[in-house]
Amino acid sequence: MRTVLTAENVTKVFAVGKGKTVMAVKNLSLDVREGEFLCLLGASGCGKSTMINMFAGFTHPTSGRVLLHGKPITAIEPRCGMVFQSYALFPWKTVRANVEFGLKMQGKPAAERSRIADGFIKMVKLQGFEDHYPAELSGGMQQRVTLARILAANPEVLLMDEPFAALDAMTRQVMQEELLQIHETSKKTTVFITHNIDEALTLADRIVVLSARPGCVKAEIENRLPRPRTIATQLTSEYIASKTKVWGYVEEEIQKHDEADRELTA
Amino acid sequence: MASINSADGQLGEIAAPSGARSARRRDRHFRPTIFLNVVSVMGFLALWMAATELGWVSPIFLPSPAAVAAEGHKLIVTGDLWEAVIASSKRVFAGFALAGVIAVPLGILMGVWWPAKAIMDPFVSLLRPLPSITWIPLTMLWLGIGESQKVMIVFLGSWIYILLYTLESTKRVDPLLIRAARNLGANDLSVMKEVILPGALPGILAGLKVTLAISWSCVLSAEMIAAQTGLGALIWFAKDWGNLPLVLLGMVCISITVLLADLAANWIERALQPWERHRRAA
Repeated sequence: MRTVLTAENVTKVFAVGKGKTVMAVKNLSLDVREGEFLCLLGASGCGKSTMINMFAGFTHPTSGRVLLHGKPITAIEPRCGMVFQSYALFPWKTVRANVEFGLKMQGKPAAERSRIADGFIKMVKLQGFEDHYPAELSGGMQQRVTLARILAANPEVLLMDEPFAALDAMTRQVMQEELLQIHETSKKTTVFITHNIDEALTLADRIVVLSARPGCVKAEIENRLPRPRTIATQLTSEYIASKTKVWGYVEEEIQKHDEADRELTA
Repeated sequence: MASINSADGQLGEIAAPSGARSARRRDRHFRPTIFLNVVSVMGFLALWMAATELGWVSPIFLPSPAAVAAEGHKLIVTGDLWEAVIASSKRVFAGFALAGVIAVPLGILMGVWWPAKAIMDPFVSLLRPLPSITWIPLTMLWLGIGESQKVMIVFLGSWIYILLYTLESTKRVDPLLIRAARNLGANDLSVMKEVILPGALPGILAGLKVTLAISWSCVLSAEMIAAQTGLGALIWFAKDWGNLPLVLLGMVCISITVLLADLAANWIERALQPWERHRRAA
Protein backbone atom coordinates (compact mmCIF):
# COMPACT_ATOMS: atom_id res chain seq x y z
CA MET A 1 0.00 0.00 0.00
CA ARG A 2 1.22 3.47 -0.85
CA THR A 3 2.51 5.72 1.88
CA VAL A 4 0.80 9.09 1.93
CA LEU A 5 2.23 10.83 4.97
CA THR A 6 5.63 10.30 6.50
CA ALA A 7 7.30 11.57 9.61
CA GLU A 8 11.06 11.08 9.25
CA ASN A 9 12.95 11.19 12.52
CA VAL A 10 11.05 14.23 13.70
CA THR A 11 12.09 16.18 16.74
CA LYS A 12 10.19 19.24 17.96
CA VAL A 13 11.35 21.60 20.65
CA PHE A 14 9.18 24.44 21.93
CA ALA A 15 10.42 27.52 23.70
CA VAL A 16 8.21 28.19 26.71
CA GLY A 17 9.48 31.51 27.92
CA LYS A 18 12.28 32.45 30.33
CA GLY A 19 14.76 30.44 28.28
CA LYS A 20 13.07 27.13 29.06
CA THR A 21 12.31 24.62 26.37
CA VAL A 22 10.06 21.62 26.07
CA MET A 23 10.88 18.73 23.79
CA ALA A 24 7.48 17.54 22.68
CA VAL A 25 8.59 14.93 20.21
CA LYS A 26 11.93 13.14 19.78
CA ASN A 27 13.05 11.07 16.79
CA LEU A 28 9.53 10.14 15.89
CA SER A 29 9.19 8.18 12.65
CA LEU A 30 5.82 7.20 11.29
CA ASP A 31 4.20 6.16 8.02
CA VAL A 32 0.57 6.69 7.15
CA ARG A 33 -0.70 4.38 4.43
CA GLU A 34 -3.24 5.32 1.79
CA GLY A 35 -6.83 4.67 2.80
CA GLU A 36 -6.09 3.55 6.31
CA PHE A 37 -7.65 4.79 9.53
CA LEU A 38 -4.72 5.40 11.84
CA CYS A 39 -5.13 6.24 15.51
CA LEU A 40 -2.42 8.02 17.44
CA LEU A 41 -2.89 6.97 21.01
CA GLY A 42 -1.15 8.36 24.03
CA ALA A 43 -1.47 10.19 27.30
CA SER A 44 -1.48 13.97 27.60
CA GLY A 45 1.72 15.67 26.62
CA CYS A 46 3.01 12.82 24.46
CA GLY A 47 3.19 15.01 21.39
CA LYS A 48 0.27 13.66 19.38
CA SER A 49 -1.25 17.10 18.76
CA THR A 50 2.19 18.40 17.84
CA MET A 51 2.55 15.65 15.24
CA ILE A 52 -0.81 16.30 13.70
CA ASN A 53 -0.13 20.02 13.61
CA MET A 54 3.05 19.29 11.71
CA PHE A 55 1.15 17.16 9.22
CA ALA A 56 -1.22 20.08 8.69
CA GLY A 57 1.66 22.48 8.30
CA PHE A 58 0.70 24.63 11.30
CA THR A 59 4.10 24.05 12.83
CA HIS A 60 7.38 22.63 11.58
CA PRO A 61 9.87 20.10 12.93
CA THR A 62 12.96 21.37 14.72
CA SER A 63 14.82 18.54 13.04
CA GLY A 64 13.69 15.76 10.77
CA ARG A 65 11.04 16.04 8.07
CA VAL A 66 7.35 15.60 7.50
CA LEU A 67 6.43 14.52 3.99
CA LEU A 68 3.25 14.41 1.97
CA HIS A 69 3.62 12.10 -1.05
CA GLY A 70 7.34 12.24 -0.50
CA LYS A 71 7.57 16.04 -0.59
CA PRO A 72 8.25 18.11 2.54
CA ILE A 73 5.36 19.99 4.09
CA THR A 74 6.52 23.60 4.33
CA ALA A 75 3.36 25.65 4.70
CA ILE A 76 -0.23 25.16 5.81
CA GLU A 77 -1.41 22.25 3.73
CA PRO A 78 -5.03 22.21 2.57
CA ARG A 79 -4.53 18.68 1.28
CA CYS A 80 -4.37 17.59 4.92
CA GLY A 81 -7.70 18.82 6.21
CA MET A 82 -7.99 19.24 9.95
CA VAL A 83 -10.96 18.68 12.22
CA PHE A 84 -10.38 20.62 15.44
CA GLN A 85 -11.38 19.60 18.92
CA SER A 86 -13.04 22.96 19.48
CA TYR A 87 -14.82 22.88 16.10
CA ALA A 88 -13.43 26.22 14.79
CA LEU A 89 -16.67 27.00 13.00
CA PHE A 90 -17.05 30.55 11.70
CA PRO A 91 -19.71 31.99 14.03
CA TRP A 92 -20.82 34.62 11.53
CA LYS A 93 -21.53 32.11 8.80
CA THR A 94 -24.55 29.83 8.59
CA VAL A 95 -24.16 26.07 8.57
CA ARG A 96 -24.38 26.08 4.80
CA ALA A 97 -21.84 28.89 4.43
CA ASN A 98 -19.45 27.08 6.77
CA VAL A 99 -19.74 23.82 4.84
CA GLU A 100 -19.27 25.67 1.55
CA PHE A 101 -16.16 27.47 2.75
CA GLY A 102 -13.53 25.07 1.42
CA LEU A 103 -15.37 24.91 -1.90
CA LYS A 104 -15.49 28.70 -2.07
CA MET A 105 -11.73 28.86 -1.53
CA GLN A 106 -11.34 26.37 -4.36
CA GLY A 107 -13.18 28.77 -6.64
CA LYS A 108 -16.24 26.62 -7.28
CA PRO A 109 -19.32 28.51 -8.57
CA ALA A 110 -22.21 29.14 -6.21
CA ALA A 111 -24.69 26.64 -7.63
CA GLU A 112 -22.20 23.79 -7.52
CA ARG A 113 -21.07 24.75 -4.01
CA SER A 114 -24.65 24.72 -2.80
CA ARG A 115 -25.31 21.34 -4.34
CA ILE A 116 -22.20 19.71 -2.89
CA ALA A 117 -22.71 21.31 0.51
CA ASP A 118 -26.32 20.14 0.68
CA GLY A 119 -25.15 16.61 0.02
CA PHE A 120 -22.73 16.64 2.93
CA ILE A 121 -25.16 18.41 5.24
CA LYS A 122 -27.57 15.58 4.57
CA MET A 123 -24.81 13.03 5.12
CA VAL A 124 -24.17 14.32 8.62
CA LYS A 125 -27.91 14.39 9.25
CA LEU A 126 -28.30 18.12 9.62
CA GLN A 127 -30.79 18.80 6.86
CA GLY A 128 -33.17 21.54 7.93
CA PHE A 129 -30.42 23.39 9.80
CA GLU A 130 -28.69 24.91 6.80
CA ASP A 131 -29.61 28.46 7.72
CA HIS A 132 -28.82 28.22 11.40
CA TYR A 133 -25.76 29.79 12.96
CA PRO A 134 -23.29 27.64 14.91
CA ALA A 135 -24.18 29.24 18.22
CA GLU A 136 -27.72 27.91 17.80
CA LEU A 137 -26.56 24.29 17.60
CA SER A 138 -25.58 21.76 20.22
CA GLY A 139 -21.98 20.53 20.55
CA GLY A 140 -22.66 17.34 18.66
CA MET A 141 -24.33 19.22 15.84
CA GLN A 142 -21.44 21.68 15.64
CA GLN A 143 -18.99 18.82 15.32
CA ARG A 144 -21.07 17.39 12.50
CA VAL A 145 -20.87 20.73 10.72
CA THR A 146 -17.08 20.69 11.12
CA LEU A 147 -17.02 17.20 9.68
CA ALA A 148 -19.25 18.17 6.76
CA ARG A 149 -17.11 21.22 6.12
CA ILE A 150 -13.88 19.29 5.84
CA LEU A 151 -15.43 16.47 3.84
CA ALA A 152 -16.91 18.95 1.38
CA ALA A 153 -13.47 20.46 0.86
CA ASN A 154 -12.34 16.96 -0.07
CA PRO A 155 -8.77 16.93 1.19
CA GLU A 156 -6.58 13.90 0.55
CA VAL A 157 -5.99 13.25 4.21
CA LEU A 158 -8.24 13.80 7.22
CA LEU A 159 -6.50 14.88 10.40
CA MET A 160 -8.67 14.72 13.49
CA ASP A 161 -7.45 16.09 16.80
CA GLU A 162 -9.58 14.43 19.47
CA PRO A 163 -12.70 15.67 17.69
CA PHE A 164 -15.16 13.94 19.99
CA ALA A 165 -13.47 14.75 23.29
CA ALA A 166 -15.86 17.56 24.14
CA LEU A 167 -18.99 15.49 23.50
CA ASP A 168 -20.99 13.45 25.98
CA ALA A 169 -20.53 9.68 25.86
CA MET A 170 -23.72 8.91 23.94
CA THR A 171 -23.16 11.52 21.24
CA ARG A 172 -19.57 10.36 20.96
CA GLN A 173 -20.77 6.82 20.34
CA VAL A 174 -23.07 7.97 17.56
CA MET A 175 -20.39 10.14 15.99
CA GLN A 176 -17.90 7.26 16.01
CA GLU A 177 -20.32 5.01 14.16
CA GLU A 178 -21.07 7.72 11.63
CA LEU A 179 -17.40 8.44 11.12
CA LEU A 180 -16.78 4.74 10.48
CA GLN A 181 -19.55 4.69 7.89
CA ILE A 182 -18.08 7.74 6.20
CA HIS A 183 -14.66 6.12 6.14
CA GLU A 184 -16.17 2.96 4.75
CA THR A 185 -17.59 4.79 1.75
CA SER A 186 -14.88 7.38 1.17
CA LYS A 187 -11.81 5.29 2.08
CA LYS A 188 -10.05 8.56 2.87
CA THR A 189 -6.73 8.34 4.68
CA THR A 190 -7.43 9.41 8.24
CA VAL A 191 -5.16 10.22 11.18
CA PHE A 192 -7.17 10.32 14.39
CA ILE A 193 -5.82 11.41 17.74
CA THR A 194 -7.27 10.07 20.94
CA HIS A 195 -6.36 9.20 24.49
CA ASN A 196 -9.26 6.77 24.71
CA ILE A 197 -8.35 3.14 24.07
CA ASP A 198 -11.94 2.11 23.36
CA GLU A 199 -12.24 4.81 20.74
CA ALA A 200 -9.01 3.68 19.11
CA LEU A 201 -10.07 0.04 19.06
CA THR A 202 -13.47 0.95 17.61
CA LEU A 203 -12.23 3.20 14.85
CA ALA A 204 -8.72 2.23 13.82
CA ASP A 205 -7.18 -0.07 11.26
CA ARG A 206 -3.87 0.52 12.97
CA ILE A 207 -3.00 1.96 16.36
CA VAL A 208 0.25 3.76 17.04
CA VAL A 209 0.97 4.13 20.74
CA LEU A 210 3.17 7.10 21.54
CA SER A 211 5.52 7.17 24.48
CA ALA A 212 5.47 9.75 27.24
CA ARG A 213 7.15 13.10 26.57
CA PRO A 214 9.32 13.43 24.55
CA GLY A 215 7.04 11.40 22.31
CA CYS A 216 8.21 8.71 19.96
CA VAL A 217 6.60 5.59 18.58
CA LYS A 218 6.34 2.98 21.30
CA ALA A 219 4.25 0.38 19.51
CA GLU A 220 2.36 -0.13 16.26
CA ILE A 221 -0.58 -2.48 16.52
CA GLU A 222 -2.69 -3.77 13.66
CA ASN A 223 -6.31 -3.75 14.71
CA ARG A 224 -7.86 -6.90 13.33
CA LEU A 225 -11.20 -6.74 15.07
CA PRO A 226 -13.97 -7.56 12.60
CA ARG A 227 -16.18 -4.85 11.17
CA PRO A 228 -18.79 -3.53 11.67
CA ARG A 229 -17.69 -2.63 15.15
CA THR A 230 -20.50 -1.93 17.60
CA ILE A 231 -21.07 -2.07 21.33
CA ALA A 232 -21.39 -5.83 20.98
CA THR A 233 -17.86 -6.00 19.62
CA GLN A 234 -16.60 -4.54 22.88
CA LEU A 235 -17.81 -7.58 24.74
CA THR A 236 -15.95 -10.20 22.68
CA SER A 237 -12.86 -11.92 23.97
CA GLU A 238 -10.88 -10.70 20.98
CA TYR A 239 -11.62 -7.15 22.00
CA ILE A 240 -10.59 -7.74 25.58
CA ALA A 241 -7.35 -9.31 24.43
CA SER A 242 -6.60 -6.38 22.16
CA LYS A 243 -7.45 -3.87 24.82
CA THR A 244 -5.27 -5.63 27.36
CA LYS A 245 -2.39 -5.56 24.91
CA VAL A 246 -2.80 -1.87 24.12
CA TRP A 247 -3.32 -0.99 27.73
CA GLY A 248 -0.08 -2.77 28.59
CA TYR A 249 1.86 -0.38 26.39
CA VAL A 250 -0.05 2.70 27.49
CA GLU A 251 0.21 1.92 31.19
CA GLU A 252 4.00 1.87 31.09
CA GLU A 253 4.04 5.28 29.49
CA ILE A 254 1.56 6.75 31.93
CA GLN A 255 3.77 5.62 34.79
CA LYS A 256 6.78 7.23 33.16
CA HIS A 257 4.74 10.40 32.68
CA ASP A 258 3.80 10.40 36.37
CA GLU A 259 7.40 9.85 37.42
CA ALA A 260 8.53 12.73 35.27
CA ASP A 261 5.88 14.95 36.85
CA ARG A 262 6.91 13.90 40.33
CA GLU A 263 10.50 14.76 39.54
CA LEU A 264 9.47 18.19 38.39
CA THR A 265 7.46 18.94 41.49
CA ALA A 266 9.94 17.35 43.96
CA MET B 1 -26.69 61.12 28.80
CA ALA B 2 -28.47 57.77 28.73
CA SER B 3 -26.10 54.83 28.81
CA ILE B 4 -26.09 52.58 25.82
CA ASN B 5 -27.28 49.58 27.83
CA SER B 6 -30.28 51.25 29.34
CA ALA B 7 -31.43 52.47 25.95
CA ASP B 8 -31.27 48.96 24.58
CA GLY B 9 -33.19 47.34 27.43
CA GLN B 10 -35.77 50.08 27.78
CA LEU B 11 -36.83 51.01 24.31
CA GLY B 12 -35.86 47.74 22.67
CA GLU B 13 -38.98 46.28 24.18
CA ILE B 14 -41.26 48.92 22.70
CA ALA B 15 -39.95 48.28 19.19
CA ALA B 16 -41.79 45.50 17.36
CA PRO B 17 -40.18 42.22 18.42
CA SER B 18 -39.22 39.51 15.97
CA GLY B 19 -40.77 36.10 16.45
CA ALA B 20 -37.82 34.59 18.28
CA ARG B 21 -37.58 37.51 20.69
CA SER B 22 -41.21 37.64 21.68
CA ALA B 23 -41.18 33.89 22.11
CA ARG B 24 -38.27 34.20 24.50
CA ARG B 25 -40.01 36.98 26.39
CA ARG B 26 -43.01 34.74 26.90
CA ASP B 27 -40.70 32.24 28.53
CA ARG B 28 -39.62 34.67 31.22
CA HIS B 29 -41.71 35.73 34.15
CA PHE B 30 -43.60 38.87 33.28
CA ARG B 31 -41.58 41.89 34.27
CA PRO B 32 -43.32 45.27 34.31
CA THR B 33 -40.14 47.01 33.18
CA ILE B 34 -41.74 49.64 30.98
CA PHE B 35 -44.27 50.37 33.64
CA LEU B 36 -41.49 51.08 36.12
CA ASN B 37 -39.61 53.16 33.55
CA VAL B 38 -42.65 55.33 33.01
CA VAL B 39 -43.61 55.56 36.66
CA SER B 40 -40.07 56.56 37.58
CA VAL B 41 -40.04 59.39 35.04
CA MET B 42 -43.53 60.52 36.03
CA GLY B 43 -42.50 60.48 39.66
CA PHE B 44 -39.46 62.58 38.97
CA LEU B 45 -41.48 65.10 36.95
CA ALA B 46 -44.04 65.30 39.72
CA LEU B 47 -41.31 65.90 42.28
CA TRP B 48 -39.75 68.57 40.09
CA MET B 49 -43.05 70.30 39.55
CA ALA B 50 -43.85 70.21 43.25
CA ALA B 51 -40.42 71.59 44.16
CA THR B 52 -40.80 74.61 41.92
CA GLU B 53 -44.53 75.28 42.19
CA LEU B 54 -44.56 74.90 45.94
CA GLY B 55 -41.52 77.09 46.30
CA TRP B 56 -39.12 74.57 47.85
CA VAL B 57 -36.58 75.79 45.32
CA SER B 58 -36.37 79.29 43.93
CA PRO B 59 -37.14 79.56 40.19
CA ILE B 60 -33.83 81.36 39.81
CA PHE B 61 -32.04 78.09 40.45
CA LEU B 62 -34.45 75.63 38.93
CA PRO B 63 -37.23 76.55 36.53
CA SER B 64 -40.44 74.55 36.66
CA PRO B 65 -41.16 71.88 34.08
CA ALA B 66 -43.96 74.08 32.82
CA ALA B 67 -41.51 76.90 32.05
CA VAL B 68 -39.22 74.52 30.20
CA ALA B 69 -42.13 73.15 28.22
CA ALA B 70 -43.25 76.66 27.37
CA GLU B 71 -39.81 77.50 26.00
CA GLY B 72 -39.91 74.27 24.09
CA HIS B 73 -43.22 75.12 22.56
CA LYS B 74 -41.97 78.56 21.54
CA LEU B 75 -38.94 77.15 19.79
CA ILE B 76 -40.76 74.32 18.12
CA VAL B 77 -43.27 76.74 16.66
CA THR B 78 -40.57 79.00 15.24
CA GLY B 79 -38.63 75.98 13.98
CA ASP B 80 -35.55 77.11 15.90
CA LEU B 81 -35.31 73.94 17.97
CA TRP B 82 -35.31 71.70 14.96
CA GLU B 83 -32.70 73.92 13.27
CA ALA B 84 -30.44 73.63 16.29
CA VAL B 85 -30.77 69.85 16.36
CA ILE B 86 -30.04 69.60 12.65
CA ALA B 87 -27.07 71.95 12.85
CA SER B 88 -25.42 69.95 15.64
CA SER B 89 -26.29 66.59 14.10
CA LYS B 90 -24.77 67.51 10.76
CA ARG B 91 -21.48 68.41 12.38
CA VAL B 92 -21.40 65.28 14.50
CA PHE B 93 -22.12 62.90 11.71
CA ALA B 94 -19.68 64.56 9.34
CA GLY B 95 -16.86 64.45 11.88
CA PHE B 96 -17.79 60.97 13.07
CA ALA B 97 -18.05 59.57 9.54
CA LEU B 98 -14.69 61.06 8.63
CA ALA B 99 -13.14 59.61 11.76
CA GLY B 100 -14.65 56.19 11.01
CA VAL B 101 -13.57 56.13 7.40
CA ILE B 102 -9.99 56.87 8.39
CA ALA B 103 -9.66 55.08 11.72
CA VAL B 104 -11.34 51.74 10.93
CA PRO B 105 -9.12 50.74 7.99
CA LEU B 106 -6.10 52.12 9.82
CA GLY B 107 -6.94 50.11 12.92
CA ILE B 108 -7.35 46.93 10.91
CA LEU B 109 -4.06 47.55 9.14
CA MET B 110 -2.30 48.11 12.44
CA GLY B 111 -3.89 44.96 13.80
CA VAL B 112 -2.61 42.68 11.06
CA TRP B 113 0.65 44.37 9.99
CA TRP B 114 3.11 45.16 12.75
CA PRO B 115 5.12 47.85 10.92
CA ALA B 116 1.98 49.98 10.64
CA LYS B 117 1.40 49.60 14.37
CA ALA B 118 5.01 50.40 15.19
CA ILE B 119 4.84 53.57 13.11
CA MET B 120 1.51 54.77 14.53
CA ASP B 121 1.91 53.80 18.19
CA PRO B 122 3.92 56.85 19.32
CA PHE B 123 1.45 59.26 17.76
CA VAL B 124 -1.51 57.46 19.24
CA SER B 125 0.06 57.61 22.69
CA LEU B 126 0.85 61.31 22.35
CA LEU B 127 -2.47 62.36 20.88
CA ARG B 128 -4.78 60.27 22.99
CA PRO B 129 -4.75 62.32 26.20
CA LEU B 130 -5.65 65.54 24.41
CA PRO B 131 -9.35 66.34 24.85
CA SER B 132 -11.04 67.91 21.88
CA ILE B 133 -11.26 71.27 23.62
CA THR B 134 -7.48 71.65 23.53
CA TRP B 135 -7.67 71.52 19.76
CA ILE B 136 -9.93 74.55 19.54
CA PRO B 137 -7.22 77.25 19.25
CA LEU B 138 -5.34 75.42 16.48
CA THR B 139 -8.44 74.55 14.52
CA MET B 140 -9.69 78.10 14.77
CA LEU B 141 -6.40 79.31 13.38
CA TRP B 142 -6.44 76.79 10.52
CA LEU B 143 -10.15 76.76 9.67
CA GLY B 144 -11.74 79.81 11.19
CA ILE B 145 -14.98 79.42 13.08
CA GLY B 146 -17.15 77.90 10.38
CA GLU B 147 -18.59 74.45 9.91
CA SER B 148 -15.33 72.80 8.93
CA GLN B 149 -13.73 73.81 12.21
CA LYS B 150 -16.52 72.13 14.18
CA VAL B 151 -16.28 69.01 12.05
CA MET B 152 -12.52 68.99 12.60
CA ILE B 153 -13.00 69.16 16.38
CA VAL B 154 -15.39 66.22 16.27
CA PHE B 155 -12.92 64.32 14.10
CA LEU B 156 -9.95 65.01 16.35
CA GLY B 157 -11.86 64.01 19.46
CA SER B 158 -13.20 60.78 17.98
CA TRP B 159 -10.77 59.15 15.61
CA ILE B 160 -8.38 57.77 18.20
CA TYR B 161 -11.09 55.93 20.11
CA ILE B 162 -12.39 54.31 16.96
CA LEU B 163 -8.80 53.39 16.11
CA LEU B 164 -8.13 51.78 19.47
CA TYR B 165 -11.35 49.76 19.54
CA THR B 166 -10.77 48.61 15.97
CA LEU B 167 -7.16 47.65 16.66
CA GLU B 168 -8.11 45.67 19.72
CA SER B 169 -10.97 43.83 18.01
CA THR B 170 -8.79 42.95 15.05
CA LYS B 171 -6.09 41.50 17.26
CA ARG B 172 -8.64 39.49 19.21
CA VAL B 173 -9.97 37.51 16.28
CA ASP B 174 -9.53 33.87 17.30
CA PRO B 175 -6.28 32.68 15.70
CA LEU B 176 -7.75 29.17 15.53
CA LEU B 177 -10.34 30.45 13.05
CA ILE B 178 -7.59 31.95 10.93
CA ARG B 179 -5.80 28.60 11.03
CA ALA B 180 -8.96 26.75 10.08
CA ALA B 181 -9.54 29.11 7.16
CA ARG B 182 -6.01 28.64 5.85
CA ASN B 183 -6.34 24.89 6.29
CA LEU B 184 -9.40 25.08 4.05
CA GLY B 185 -7.38 26.84 1.37
CA ALA B 186 -7.85 30.53 2.13
CA ASN B 187 -5.16 32.96 0.96
CA ASP B 188 -4.31 36.21 2.76
CA LEU B 189 -7.03 38.22 1.07
CA SER B 190 -9.68 35.64 1.83
CA VAL B 191 -8.58 35.41 5.44
CA MET B 192 -9.03 39.19 5.72
CA LYS B 193 -12.40 39.21 4.00
CA GLU B 194 -13.92 36.03 5.42
CA VAL B 195 -12.44 35.85 8.90
CA ILE B 196 -10.78 39.00 10.19
CA LEU B 197 -13.36 41.56 9.08
CA PRO B 198 -16.45 39.68 10.29
CA GLY B 199 -14.57 38.56 13.40
CA ALA B 200 -13.59 42.10 14.33
CA LEU B 201 -16.93 43.59 13.39
CA PRO B 202 -18.71 43.27 16.76
CA GLY B 203 -15.85 45.05 18.52
CA ILE B 204 -15.62 47.71 15.83
CA LEU B 205 -19.34 48.44 16.06
CA ALA B 206 -19.19 48.60 19.84
CA GLY B 207 -16.33 51.09 19.53
CA LEU B 208 -18.32 53.15 17.04
CA LYS B 209 -21.31 53.30 19.36
CA VAL B 210 -19.21 54.48 22.29
CA THR B 211 -17.40 57.02 20.13
CA LEU B 212 -20.66 58.44 18.83
CA ALA B 213 -21.46 59.62 22.33
CA ILE B 214 -17.97 61.10 22.59
CA SER B 215 -18.46 62.86 19.25
CA TRP B 216 -21.56 64.53 20.61
CA SER B 217 -19.74 65.91 23.61
CA CYS B 218 -17.02 67.23 21.27
CA VAL B 219 -19.48 69.13 19.12
CA LEU B 220 -21.20 70.64 22.11
CA SER B 221 -18.03 72.06 23.58
CA ALA B 222 -16.97 73.37 20.15
CA GLU B 223 -20.36 75.04 19.75
CA MET B 224 -20.30 76.61 23.16
CA ILE B 225 -17.02 78.29 22.40
CA ALA B 226 -17.59 79.55 18.88
CA ALA B 227 -20.86 78.90 17.14
CA GLN B 228 -24.07 80.65 16.21
CA THR B 229 -26.17 77.57 15.66
CA GLY B 230 -26.60 74.18 17.24
CA LEU B 231 -27.67 72.86 20.61
CA GLY B 232 -24.43 73.80 22.34
CA ALA B 233 -24.70 77.35 21.06
CA LEU B 234 -28.34 77.39 22.16
CA ILE B 235 -27.39 76.58 25.72
CA TRP B 236 -24.59 79.10 25.76
CA PHE B 237 -26.70 81.96 24.43
CA ALA B 238 -29.47 81.00 26.81
CA LYS B 239 -26.97 81.36 29.65
CA ASP B 240 -25.95 84.79 28.39
CA TRP B 241 -29.58 85.91 28.28
CA GLY B 242 -30.25 84.47 31.72
CA ASN B 243 -32.88 82.19 30.19
CA LEU B 244 -32.58 79.17 32.45
CA PRO B 245 -35.62 77.29 31.08
CA LEU B 246 -33.98 77.47 27.68
CA VAL B 247 -30.76 76.04 29.10
CA LEU B 248 -32.67 73.11 30.53
CA LEU B 249 -34.57 72.67 27.30
CA GLY B 250 -31.30 72.50 25.44
CA MET B 251 -30.01 69.84 27.79
CA VAL B 252 -33.15 67.78 27.46
CA CYS B 253 -32.94 68.02 23.69
CA ILE B 254 -29.34 66.90 23.70
CA SER B 255 -30.25 63.87 25.80
CA ILE B 256 -33.10 62.90 23.52
CA THR B 257 -31.13 63.39 20.33
CA VAL B 258 -28.21 61.29 21.51
CA LEU B 259 -30.60 58.65 22.81
CA LEU B 260 -32.23 58.42 19.40
CA ALA B 261 -28.82 58.24 17.75
CA ASP B 262 -27.95 55.39 20.13
CA LEU B 263 -31.12 53.56 19.16
CA ALA B 264 -30.39 53.95 15.49
CA ALA B 265 -26.87 52.66 16.13
CA ASN B 266 -28.23 49.63 17.98
CA TRP B 267 -30.60 48.92 15.14
CA ILE B 268 -27.78 49.09 12.59
CA GLU B 269 -25.64 46.86 14.78
CA ARG B 270 -28.38 44.23 14.90
CA ALA B 271 -28.88 44.38 11.16
CA LEU B 272 -25.18 43.90 10.48
CA GLN B 273 -24.76 40.94 12.81
CA PRO B 274 -27.51 38.42 12.13
CA TRP B 275 -25.47 35.70 13.81
CA GLU B 276 -25.85 37.42 17.18
CA ARG B 277 -29.61 37.04 17.00
CA HIS B 278 -29.72 34.33 19.66
CA ARG B 279 -28.40 36.83 22.19
CA ARG B 280 -31.10 39.41 21.64
CA ALA B 281 -33.52 38.18 24.26
CA ALA B 282 -31.92 39.91 27.23
